[in-house]
Amino acid sequence: MNEIFALVEHRQGIIRDITYELLSCGRKLAEKGNTKLTAVILGYNTDNFVQILKGQAHRLLVVDNEVYEDFNSEVYQTALTEIIKRQNPVLTLISHSAFGMDLCPALAAQLGMPFTTDCLDVELAEHKLKVTRQIYDGKLNAKVLLRENAGYMITLRSGCFPAGESSLDGVVEKIDTPVSAQPDYRKFIEYIEAAVGEVDITKSDILVSVGRGVKEKANLSIIEDFAETIGGVVGCSRPVVDAGWLPKDRQIGSSGKTVKPKLYIGLGISGAFQHIVGMKGADTIIAVNKDPNAPIFSEADYGIVDDLFKVVPVLKTKILEMKQAKG
Amino acid sequence: MGSAIKMNTEVRAAIIESGGDDVIKCYQCGRCMAACPWNLLGGLNYATYRFCQRIKLGAIIDSEEKEAIAADTIDVFRCVGCDACKSECPRGVGLSDVLRAVRRILVDFNSYPGELKSVVARLFNSGNPLGEPAEKRADWAEGLNIPQYTEVNEYLYFPCCLPAYDARAKKVAQASARILKRAGISFGIMGKDEFCCGEAVRRVGAEKVFQTAVKQNTELFKKAKVQKVIATSPHCLVTFTKEYPEYYDGFETLHAVQVFDQLIKEKKIVPKKPFGKTVVYHDPCTLGRQMDIFDEPRAILKSIPGLNLVEVPVFNREFSVCCGGGSMGLWLDWPQDERLANIRTEQILETGADILCVACPYCLHMFEETMKSMDADIEVMDISEILEASLELR
Amino acid sequence: MDIIVCIKRVAQTAEADVKIDSSGKDIVKDRLTFDMNESDTYALEEAILLKEKFGGTLTAVSLGTVQAEDTLRIALAKGADSAIRIKAEDFEGLDGYKTAQLLKAAIKDLKFDVVFTGCIATDDYYSQVGVTLAELLGVPHATLVTKIDIQDTKAQVHRELEGGLMEHLEMTLPALFTIQTGINEPRYASLIAIRRAAKKEIKVIGASEIDPIGIQANASLEELFTPPAGKRAEILTGSVDEISAKVAGIIKEKGLI
Repeated sequence: MNEIFALVEHRQGIIRDITYELLSCGRKLAEKGNTKLTAVILGYNTDNFVQILKGQAHRLLVVDNEVYEDFNSEVYQTALTEIIKRQNPVLTLISHSAFGMDLCPALAAQLGMPFTTDCLDVELAEHKLKVTRQIYDGKLNAKVLLRENAGYMITLRSGCFPAGESSLDGVVEKIDTPVSAQPDYRKFIEYIEAAVGEVDITKSDILVSVGRGVKEKANLSIIEDFAETIGGVVGCSRPVVDAGWLPKDRQIGSSGKTVKPKLYIGLGISGAFQHIVGMKGADTIIAVNKDPNAPIFSEADYGIVDDLFKVVPVLKTKILEMKQAKG
Repeated sequence: MGSAIKMNTEVRAAIIESGGDDVIKCYQCGRCMAACPWNLLGGLNYATYRFCQRIKLGAIIDSEEKEAIAADTIDVFRCVGCDACKSECPRGVGLSDVLRAVRRILVDFNSYPGELKSVVARLFNSGNPLGEPAEKRADWAEGLNIPQYTEVNEYLYFPCCLPAYDARAKKVAQASARILKRAGISFGIMGKDEFCCGEAVRRVGAEKVFQTAVKQNTELFKKAKVQKVIATSPHCLVTFTKEYPEYYDGFETLHAVQVFDQLIKEKKIVPKKPFGKTVVYHDPCTLGRQMDIFDEPRAILKSIPGLNLVEVPVFNREFSVCCGGGSMGLWLDWPQDERLANIRTEQILETGADILCVACPYCLHMFEETMKSMDADIEVMDISEILEASLELR
Repeated sequence: MDIIVCIKRVAQTAEADVKIDSSGKDIVKDRLTFDMNESDTYALEEAILLKEKFGGTLTAVSLGTVQAEDTLRIALAKGADSAIRIKAEDFEGLDGYKTAQLLKAAIKDLKFDVVFTGCIATDDYYSQVGVTLAELLGVPHATLVTKIDIQDTKAQVHRELEGGLMEHLEMTLPALFTIQTGINEPRYASLIAIRRAAKKEIKVIGASEIDPIGIQANASLEELFTPPAGKRAEILTGSVDEISAKVAGIIKEKGLI
């Protein structure tokens, strides 16, 4: 079997987390298929990337040029088309992210290679590629067989392939490509940070949701602080918006926004049905409420019957401890 | 909205065909506008009679401007179906039916507010607006030992989707069931085979979903030989009584208050424990104005020892002001200074009562939420809960 | 300015119980409502706003069975000038790649400055069709677009990245954009426009106009299955310290820290 390729995704000088998942998946597939994993890095001043990733693949294919410093799908596509044509990997793994979504379909279409996106699971055996995808708002899984071909390309969903340990000693190979400038028809200009306070709660993986149990506007700072610690964003139920403590774009519910985060933590939320309808699709629901009869407990996976002001500070500490231990 | 009105006979014909024929009766006197609870809000000018005028001209939701189209569409969906207008109209124009005709066209075309689209989708899929599994529709009755309805039972107790699934409203179904048991009434429940009665979904213009509801429920009732239904929601009552007979008229429906009143009169239940509080009764639009049931709830409350019953001055009985929950108003969010429930709550609070007595699950929910958001010091109880407390059933 | 917008009619499954049908390869549809795919409504609105600003024509295209014409009529009522339906019933084994090829075949002879699509369909969750179509048409593309400012043939484009970060690109027309939700506020249709759209003719093309040979799918569906259920309601007990430790552990186990 030919090699597995994994495309490294980086932004503003940092390798994005999903890359490690891609490499972990790639290593497993390479081992199963008795072949090797090559990490492909298109970037600028890539020495530190190479250092970090050296142990994660059998080979690192590096293209180092200023034009690759910031992602431009046209530029990356031209380079990768040539590389893949020359190197013939059996499978190229790309992250299913803003980067991968922008790149993969066009790249694969140009190569005439069968591709699919947002895969949760991958099976590569005897040159047949099968993947698992989710459809219908994540309600069903689909097992999909790709059209048989010498080479395939897929994007992987984040959070499905745990980033594992690896102690390979990657061979570094630097190559050149002919692209030297961004094309007129698509030029990367700059990154723009989101304005402070402008938040789309439907796009966050972690939501900390507050209800009237937060008692007054001043207490929101404790909640926002907690949300920041956990890497989440603050949402709320309608009474909090009514009281003027948070803007309407934070409202979760039938007349606010429907959210499907990976983690929803409800603090002082009783669970009026309009609110529940807006968040019951969350993967994991943790609820904190003084009232053991709060309706939210029948939606939650885990419930804590206690005063949120007692629980939040301690929970914050535990999470900080856990983060520090990891890093 | 400033340009001259352009006539469009096609739009007019489409709306009249869709069920808006009452507009022809309207002679623009404006009494509906005085009756409409939306116009109790200072600053809102809900020009009810202009709907008829504009439909007659085919000039409704007719702008080419995005904002004007949106404002007009939202206005068509603002009506909560309280029928205060109809009861004042000298010509008997059913304005909520007229608006329903317009809504049907918009819903058919999928051009209506997203929050309502979601409720309609949930209801169509699971038989209730909360999107809860049909299998759990009888879970509220756990531990109450109520039989599955068969024709040996005299009554089918139909709790309504909210009491079936909502944590607060469940208590109403439970209290009502316990009262019926204590009185020795022969009744059963059905649970998962029931579908929402469809009243609100019909009002909102989702006619296809309503037809699904009617078909499922009437087939179920026919098969199980249901002849008498006791309903907790006046909305189920009004739709079973007025809309279903066109499709199947083999059953009659009573509201729980009618049954309780009769049971008290027959001394099958005797309120004993003194209820030493002042209670104000809010007439639900659908129970009172639309079904003429005003006296039975009052008789029940007056039969309870130690209960001091007060009325909302002027705005009681047929002049009661809507809580805003009807016609899927439960699912819409108006700005705080545009909420019917807030106005009604102010009127209720002025009576100085300790308890607000309701007889409708929508009113129960709207007022529970409003008392919280207005920080009002009054408890909301359903009439079944008040009666049960005095019967000492627990 | 000549604009094309690609739209799709999808089942509204976000709050519905989705069941696999007897064939094992599709879902039971009789208790589902259908509507235009969410990001497509934003794409359509962006297309209409562009047409309102610069004048020109807007064509709506959809690959679907005859019910997709309802969705095309919504586009007509909101501001599209014409509509094309590609008969899905004429082609088998449709996936994202095949869809893009069919769309290309339908529009390749039309003049256009901009093509809009939604960024993702809530039934298949592919996020493939727009970008593939751009490649097949030979025009540049940008995905997850949250802002477009066009001056002459130059477009200043914002793309939504992760974590609230945006990317600013400069592109030239003709180009294809896949539109992210929230970019604008989709309009309602007026009753006059609804009545007009109900009668408008929709161009329908199928296997007699597009040769099915040479159009291949990338993938075929083997089976559908329900993801394993994981919900259990558990009230955590112990001291605040113990409970917090448990919760932190749960969060870590889910890979969220």
